[in-house]
Amino acid sequence: MTQQEIKDQVQAIFIDITDNPTIVLQDATTSDDIEEWDSLTHIQLVVAIEKHFNVSFTAEEIGGYANVGEMCVGIEQKLM
Amino acid sequence: MLLHQIFTATYTVTEQVYKGFISTFADNNPLHTDAAFAKQYGMPQVVMHGNILNGFLSHFIGEELPQKNVIIHSQTINYYLPVFLNDTVTLQAEVAEIHQAVHAILFKFMFRNQAGKRVAKGMVQIGLL
Repeated sequence: MTQQEIKDQVQAIFIDITDNPTIVLQDATTSDDIEEWDSLTHIQLVVAIEKHFNVSFTAEEIGGYANVGEMCVGIEQKLM
Repeated sequence: MLLHQIFTATYTVTEQVYKGFISTFADNNPLHTDAAFAKQYGMPQVVMHGNILNGFLSHFIGEELPQKNVIIHSQTINYYLPVFLNDTVTLQAEVAEIHQAVHAILFKFMFRNQAGKRVAKGMVQIGLL
């Protein structure tokens, strides 16, 4: 799976979980940029991403990602 | 809690539960309150509200798990058979997924009545605060 495919699928997950079809993720996107990305939504996003890509993260990994781009790289590394 | 760990709890739909549900939520639909109406639709007696089972599920999550620092994130339930007054249902819940990064646990659960028949099943995701 290419990095772009991962980003596209992550974006679809964000749109579904946040119920905001206008979201366009950039590599630099953080929770500060998306109003709906609060603490409970964060949990739902992580759970949905783990299920969708059949990967699992540690709390340290999730906490260490500075933005969406880094998380997508993390997903790609787990899929290798 | 461990992956595939199973918990069980047993509940009875008592008169107090039934009337308490109606007095709290005012769902007086005749299927739940009028035996003649219920019989018109093939039921032997009034049918208990399906969401009474969700009340039992809430008790299970809030009171029966080993940890009290829990919150429900989401839940789904499918109903298969009606539940009647004074039925006893057994809830069996299995830890189906653990999402350690966000302290979330997904349970698959099933309710069976006193005859062993499955009356409902679903999933509930909880978080450990």
